Amino acid sequence: MSLRIRQDEVARGATRGHNIWLDRFDVVERVVHWTTAILMLVLLATGAILYIPSLSIAVGHRAAVAGIHVFGGIALLLPLALGVAGPWRQRLLRDLRRLDCWSAADWEWFRRPGRRLGLARGKFNGGQKAEAAFVAGGMVVMLASGVIMGYAPARWIYWQQGATLVHDCGFVALGIGIAVHIYYGLTRPEQLRSMLTGRIPRSWAAKNAPVWAEEAESGQP
Amino acid sequence: MSSNGETHVGRRAVLGMAALGAAGIAFGASIDNAVGGTLTRLSNDLGALGALVPGADEFRIYTVTGSIPVISPASYRLRVGGMVKSPLELSLDDLRAMKRTRLVHYFQCVTGWRVPSVHWEGVQLSEILSHAGATESATALRFLSGDGVYTESLTMSQAQLPDVLVADRMIGDDVTPDHGGPVRLYVAPMYGYKSIKWLDRIEVSDTVVPGYWENFGYPVNGWIGGVA
Repeated sequence: MSLRIRQDEVARGATRGHNIWLDRFDVVERVVHWTTAILMLVLLATGAILYIPSLSIAVGHRAAVAGIHVFGGIALLLPLALGVAGPWRQRLLRDLRRLDCWSAADWEWFRRPGRRLGLARGKFNGGQKAEAAFVAGGMVVMLASGVIMGYAPARWIYWQQGATLVHDCGFVALGIGIAVHIYYGLTRPEQLRSMLTGRIPRSWAAKNAPVWAEEAESGQP
Repeated sequence: MSSNGETHVGRRAVLGMAALGAAGIAFGASIDNAVGGTLTRLSNDLGALGALVPGADEFRIYTVTGSIPVISPASYRLRVGGMVKSPLELSLDDLRAMKRTRLVHYFQCVTGWRVPSVHWEGVQLSEILSHAGATESATALRFLSGDGVYTESLTMSQAQLPDVLVADRMIGDDVTPDHGGPVRLYVAPMYGYKSIKWLDRIEVSDTVVPGYWENFGYPVNGWIGGVA
């Protein structure tokens, strides 16, 4: 059924001489997203094994699990760092700026969930911006506390205990945050598909992100 | 505030989280010590989910092999050999017939977690060594775990400290398999990795052989806080 509709749209779009798709994410953004996602899942899984006693006992091999966890933690920032390191960064940087900047509509997204569709929304909504900031902040906190747990000099024992508490709290918080992100992705197939293929139906954008739809038409996807 | 009425909320949120994390690292130990007891009760009340509660005063169970060794208390023997005048093979009953030592002391992991006020009971390592009679030139001990992989080391002078126990009871019960039972080492002034679990054999020698985690970079002299 939905396939039929899409074919009709393609036919109409073709006759009117323009594409029914809008570019949402370029290949750099998609590679950064999925490599970061895989590393994050590896970190959550190995972290759970190191942290939860019943999993520690079931899996064992602590040195190997800890080694993967530490390696993954150091590697976590690489995709983003490489993504902004060269001339291929333009689209990624533009989206990072979009995630950073909040308009009145983004706050409204939280206040009136029932009327979200009427908002003059840009590429990302308030919830997506909050999620992005939360995960970015979480990555900074986990990296800092993790480095102190693993590499601080022995006389920092007081701060190591604090870093352990922070890292444990961060595990639970990030675990919930990532679960929410995955839930939203799986329940919004157009957006999930756009992170795989890079494009999203123009009709989706007109309805859900009208401000961005105009930006994309004028060459600022 | 930029010209189009937008504000940089995202970067402020990231900086705010970083500041919160820094405060947690700076003061978390005091918070942990103050509310650890409450969090432990909460953790116990939550059942299976309780393992997720941060800051609870609970042991984390470490094993470097694929499983927890289960050693029968009845057939257990602690072997003490190497540079000693009389090699020993001590059963659990032998250990319980020797001079017993009890102490209450925290367990501190090198990565930062600690369990306060753990009750330990067993035989001082120095007591066992006096029965075996280390030779004049013996300067070091090597400990081998029943898991077949883990090893640890102490110098002879460290082994003589009064708060180094060959423990067969902790937390008011026989040492469980998860905690390294039936018999483990407890080196109170050093990080947890020195307190080898499933203690199987003690070899007295004249060379300190770095233990399992020490080959991954942990200090051979694992004094808590880095000072003797």
